[in-house]
Amino acid sequence: MSVSRSTTFLCCAMAIAGFATRAAAQAKSAPSPVVPSTTASGTADRAKILRGAADALGMVRWSDIGGGNTRLPGIDVINTMEFKATGTSYTAGQPVPAEYDVELAYNPPGMRVQTVRSGAHTIQTVREDYAWDESELGAGLVPGKGTATPQVSAAKDRILQLWTLPYGVVKAAIAAGDKTIVSTADGATVLTFPLSGPLSGVTVKATLDANNFITRVETKSGDPALNTESEYSDYADHGEIATDIKSPAHIVRKQAGRPVMDIRVKTWDANNPYVVFPVPSNIKKAAAPAGAAAPHQENQ
Amino acid sequence: MPSLIRRALAAGIAACLCSVVAPAQAPPPQRRTDNAPPRPSGTTPRTADGHPDLTGVWNGIGDNLNGVPNQMANNGISVDSPTSAHDIFSGAKITTFPRNTNRPLNNEEDERAAALLRRSGANRPIYKPEYWQMVRQLDANANDEDPTNNCMPAGIPRGGIPSYIGQEPNHVMFIYPGQGGLIATQTMYRMIPLDGHKHTPLTDLDGTYTGESIGHWEGDTLVVDSWGFNSSTWFDQIGGYFHSEDMHVIERFHRDGNTLTWTATVEDPQVLLEPWTTTPRVAVLNANPNATLPESDPCSERDLGHIVTKEHH
Repeated sequence: MSVSRSTTFLCCAMAIAGFATRAAAQAKSAPSPVVPSTTASGTADRAKILRGAADALGMVRWSDIGGGNTRLPGIDVINTMEFKATGTSYTAGQPVPAEYDVELAYNPPGMRVQTVRSGAHTIQTVREDYAWDESELGAGLVPGKGTATPQVSAAKDRILQLWTLPYGVVKAAIAAGDKTIVSTADGATVLTFPLSGPLSGVTVKATLDANNFITRVETKSGDPALNTESEYSDYADHGEIATDIKSPAHIVRKQAGRPVMDIRVKTWDANNPYVVFPVPSNIKKAAAPAGAAAPHQENQ
Repeated sequence: MPSLIRRALAAGIAACLCSVVAPAQAPPPQRRTDNAPPRPSGTTPRTADGHPDLTGVWNGIGDNLNGVPNQMANNGISVDSPTSAHDIFSGAKITTFPRNTNRPLNNEEDERAAALLRRSGANRPIYKPEYWQMVRQLDANANDEDPTNNCMPAGIPRGGIPSYIGQEPNHVMFIYPGQGGLIATQTMYRMIPLDGHKHTPLTDLDGTYTGESIGHWEGDTLVVDSWGFNSSTWFDQIGGYFHSEDMHVIERFHRDGNTLTWTATVEDPQVLLEPWTTTPRVAVLNANPNATLPESDPCSERDLGHIVTKEHH
């Protein structure tokens, strides 16, 4: 897909202001050397780091209410989310004020980004290997109600955004199993792992802070559109209904080295809200999926 | 006397030690670490006309309210072992983690986790797009919006598996006891003909909570077909899954030994894009042949006025 098209979409998802300077400074600095972890057990170290990252986000949960003699393990409770944000998107390098409403799901993987910029409302959606634009919410699902336009070449770019959110990083790093490498760089913990399925060939490098929050995610690929950098900060429970799920309030994203968005989150509903991505029939006809978009599970 | 006292003390101490030591040596109680449906055992009894006999006390209404592990299973999250879980509907693997503390969760932690766990499954009814936001808002505001609050009936399919089934050649009787507390619901009963009744035309029916139901057998499965509902119930305790008065529900009951498996398929073209089928639920027959249903507590809603947040599980 073209960089401009993916940039347009990426502009529909994230971030603003004070971080722009810092992001630019980081972009200019030389890459930090990555030092492989020297701990005795790579597997134990990896499991500990991933557990720490999952716990920091509030992903691992259990409840014994009414459970009697049943004692279940903790499970990853993150499936669906919705967040609303305002900020700046960049078109041809120029900042444009924008509002965002992002719905996402991991089971099955999907994401819908509604953006309002300069009075124009766009809806860009992806579910697994299907990508389409909606002329109105849910366009193409009910005859006579809106148009769903296939965006076959945008599927990888759009689904990549799901897997580079903090929750997606933890899920994908766990799914990558032994291929996930723990290292340190400038004193920070770094996770490096490959994505799989349709995103095969993309490598993710995620940096954790001292509180195990994912603060920076880089992706590398032969496709420039899939070379991205995301920064996440100001983690807290931003839901109207408290869940103890921590989400970033500030998101900055670049693509192919250029800033594409900088947003400040207003609300982040992590209580597995009703978010669905039914695929319109014309979208199914337009592109037969090549395979599942979720990272393949390995060793977990 | 001193020796007697010493002997008595020694005997007493020994007795105390025994009473202390003995339980410590007993094996710890076995705890389930999965929420897998119960496996059937025994044979399936049959009535004189050859159909499976569903008569008995089952762990019904219920079955979807009895604790978070069961609620998770009802919503499609199957925890197969301490290291394995999957989503029944999508087949997706769900990552498990060992508990990293033995500290009991406080009420707030427990409730918030329960809310997340019950909503994490992939099996969700697909509404028409114009209702997506409405469903989300109903769920988010369920403490105010849930139609069963203030002791109203749960309705169908929310009732799930009845707690009692009485089966006669020409009808079955379902009883769903009421519940107290925040999930306060009213007792429901249904008398469902099996004699070839046809449905009353929908336009001739006044909508009710359990609708008009007729049953028939498909092999060994009892199929209960219902319509004629009001719109004052939800599909489940969570989700904000409302419906219209045109809802049509097809329930399937299949007995295997001492287990009863139930699913419901909901059709409602007014609000749903496509029919939706619940995750199968499994109830176990009460093994006590003399089991009865105790009287439900009078339903009196006393919690809602004290709720100050939107949190609910």
